[in-house]
Amino acid sequence: MQETALILSYIVIAYMLFSSLSYLGLFALAYGKVKKENKLDKRESTEDFLRNQSTYPVSILVPAYNEEVGVVSTVRSLLALEYPEKEIIVIDDGSKDSTSLRMIEEFKMKEIPFAVRTHIETAEIEAIYQSSIFPYIRLIKKANGGKADALNAGVNLSSFPYFCAIDGDSILENDGLLKCMKPIIESDGQIIVTGGSVRIANGSTISRSKVELVGLPKSPIVLMQIVEYFRAFLIGRLALSHLNILLIVSGAFGVFNKERVIQAGGYNKNTVGEDMELVVRLHRLLREEKSKQRIEYIPDPVCWTEAPESLEVLRSQRIRWQRGLFETLWTHRKMMLNPKYGSIGLFSMPYFLFVELLGAVFEFIGYFIIFGGFFFSLVDPQVAGVMFLVTVFYGSLISALAVLLEELTLHKYPKVSHLMRLYFWALTEAFWYRPLMVLWRVKGIFATFQKKAHWGDMKRKGIST
Amino acid sequence: MNLTHFWILIASLFLGQLLLLLVLAWRKQQSNKREAAIDRQYHLLTDSFSSYTMDPSDERFIEELTASPYHLVVLERLLNHYVSVTKAGADSPAVSRLSEEFLSKRYMKLLKRGNWAMRMNTLYFIEDFRMESLVPQLKEKLAKSSRLDQETQQLIRTLASLNETVAIDALAKYPDAPARLYIDVFKRLDELTKLDELDAALKDENTNQTLKHSAISYIGMAGMTLFLPRVEAELQHPEMEMRIQALKAILHLQYMNSPSALAPFFQSTAWPERMFAAQIAGKLQLSRYKETLGELLGDPVWWVRYSSAEALTQFSEGDIVLTHLAENHSDRYARDMANQWKTSLLGSEQ
Repeated sequence: MQETALILSYIVIAYMLFSSLSYLGLFALAYGKVKKENKLDKRESTEDFLRNQSTYPVSILVPAYNEEVGVVSTVRSLLALEYPEKEIIVIDDGSKDSTSLRMIEEFKMKEIPFAVRTHIETAEIEAIYQSSIFPYIRLIKKANGGKADALNAGVNLSSFPYFCAIDGDSILENDGLLKCMKPIIESDGQIIVTGGSVRIANGSTISRSKVELVGLPKSPIVLMQIVEYFRAFLIGRLALSHLNILLIVSGAFGVFNKERVIQAGGYNKNTVGEDMELVVRLHRLLREEKSKQRIEYIPDPVCWTEAPESLEVLRSQRIRWQRGLFETLWTHRKMMLNPKYGSIGLFSMPYFLFVELLGAVFEFIGYFIIFGGFFFSLVDPQVAGVMFLVTVFYGSLISALAVLLEELTLHKYPKVSHLMRLYFWALTEAFWYRPLMVLWRVKGIFATFQKKAHWGDMKRKGIST
Repeated sequence: MNLTHFWILIASLFLGQLLLLLVLAWRKQQSNKREAAIDRQYHLLTDSFSSYTMDPSDERFIEELTASPYHLVVLERLLNHYVSVTKAGADSPAVSRLSEEFLSKRYMKLLKRGNWAMRMNTLYFIEDFRMESLVPQLKEKLAKSSRLDQETQQLIRTLASLNETVAIDALAKYPDAPARLYIDVFKRLDELTKLDELDAALKDENTNQTLKHSAISYIGMAGMTLFLPRVEAELQHPEMEMRIQALKAILHLQYMNSPSALAPFFQSTAWPERMFAAQIAGKLQLSRYKETLGELLGDPVWWVRYSSAEALTQFSEGDIVLTHLAENHSDRYARDMANQWKTSLLGSEQ
């Protein structure tokens, strides 16, 4: 028994050291790009597109399920977006609350008959409404079919060649859409998807659907999620995007080439990770066609979202994410280590399997060994001690480094006290927050075999102040 | 490696991070202080700057500006704000004088040595402030560039804003140069130069097809009816892309000398040609094509059906025609489309 535990310990230690080094390697890759663009005057670099008739029009899709608290402020923030031509389509996916009613009242909407092209099959469309104040705002009221189904209904109704999917509780920066469309326009359509960096809005001052002052929340749970976002976005996604092997574009905000999405078959209704699954499918399509088109990620924060403040909601969110990741990797297992899919098959898929999915299992075993080693002589306390230090390195020091890297490159939190608080909370990660995440992520793997796809059960407070 | 080695490794990483944290915190504090000072001075100078833009003989602003330790940054922000909020800002003599006097040396250095982002910002500002004295440096830089990357693209735009036709010649060096860049150049040239360049682009001897597409497209966007006969002539062009650009331009110009030239496009095998023909027929209210539009309502392509129905709404009795088609058209999809647009007409009347 002790020998098995010892071998396991060495495997986990080697795994954690390898993963930590891979994080550092990925950041080294991304650092150049972030640093290069950091001092660029963003206003100057996008203002030309604002007046340019060749800027592609965009359909903004807002899938909503029980979003009566946030849906109106989200649409208001979308109205304020600086963009030459856009339409806003809210899709009420059979909400049990007053999501549709809030929209109909606020924007004086009327029911219209509409000849919808059914590119992708969806649950029954009950009615389509159009605002009499802003005719480019529409609402689809449909039978419940899940977020993917709602997005597919939005794709069917949309009139423009690009669409932007945004969560009902998110607030976009005024120039967020322009920033995301800029690489698409400049590449003359060679970039088919752009994902924007998502930030947590809790603690910031938001008025009239606009982030006026960036701040930090009091809740340690939310603070830790901010640190986690730094770790994921700055260390992971930028580098993967740089190598054109990015597999995730956040469901909270992404811009897609509609034709390509339709070719790929739209969002998959049978997974809870529809955002990642679609991106993987698009990669698959591109590789099978030997196309040079790309999927890109933008480091600049373009979208603000409300993070869960209660452990219960956070737990459900993380289980759902992990389950989505597992389902996607399983659906596209054919691509795993398959040279036909180039770096996606040979590097990105194994990375997501071993680091993002199974990482939780390794860490779980690690915590078990530390506990067993110190209190039940499961392994030599020396080995348990090494395991403890590696866990602190992997869990806390890498996260603390992510905070420092954010400050080194983007420095979006204005005060010195923000930096200090984020750094010291990041150091505590391995001792309370990470074990919780590990536990829920392991549960997420098991959950894959249990339930069917459903909307998350986030309790919204609304982020406008 | 044993436990002690790991302790040493973790402790040194932690100490290294602490050091980095202290450096970053200090840097943040300094940069916040500097930013606050710049902000203060910006607001202090706003009034005298406004007076100066109205009366450049008022030297109070120059005196106050030169006394400021951050005068270049403050001036750059004042000028940038001014040109972005005023229509004639870029052509203002005050902007030209101030930028040439205070910023040209700095920009000359930045163009040569600054990092990528700083060089890009400099190119944007040279364009915004119309700094003609920097044209030789820009041309020299353009001659040295061998790739049409973001920086070269902005360099070309900046030169075009200074009315330098070398921008078009430079683009012609790159066979993959996109039409949007040519359009950006046309947009920036002054009126007379623009007319000459568009005229040259439309000539038969011009073999650069992207340049010709862009010229036709720009003529439409800018509503330059002067070129309408030349655009209409392109409807006979053997290349489909050229015909489509001509149709788009006519749609924007909202006028045609010979509407009969549109007839063959309703029977085109290419759906974009049918779609644009339908849109033009609606926009120009060409009653002779009303019946054809009714037929196109049953086209196999959704966009053609959509455009035909939309076109019918442009006619005075469009609601009656659509109501009739919504009930009697032989095609189910045509009836749906007519129904949708009929309702939109009712909505607009309320």
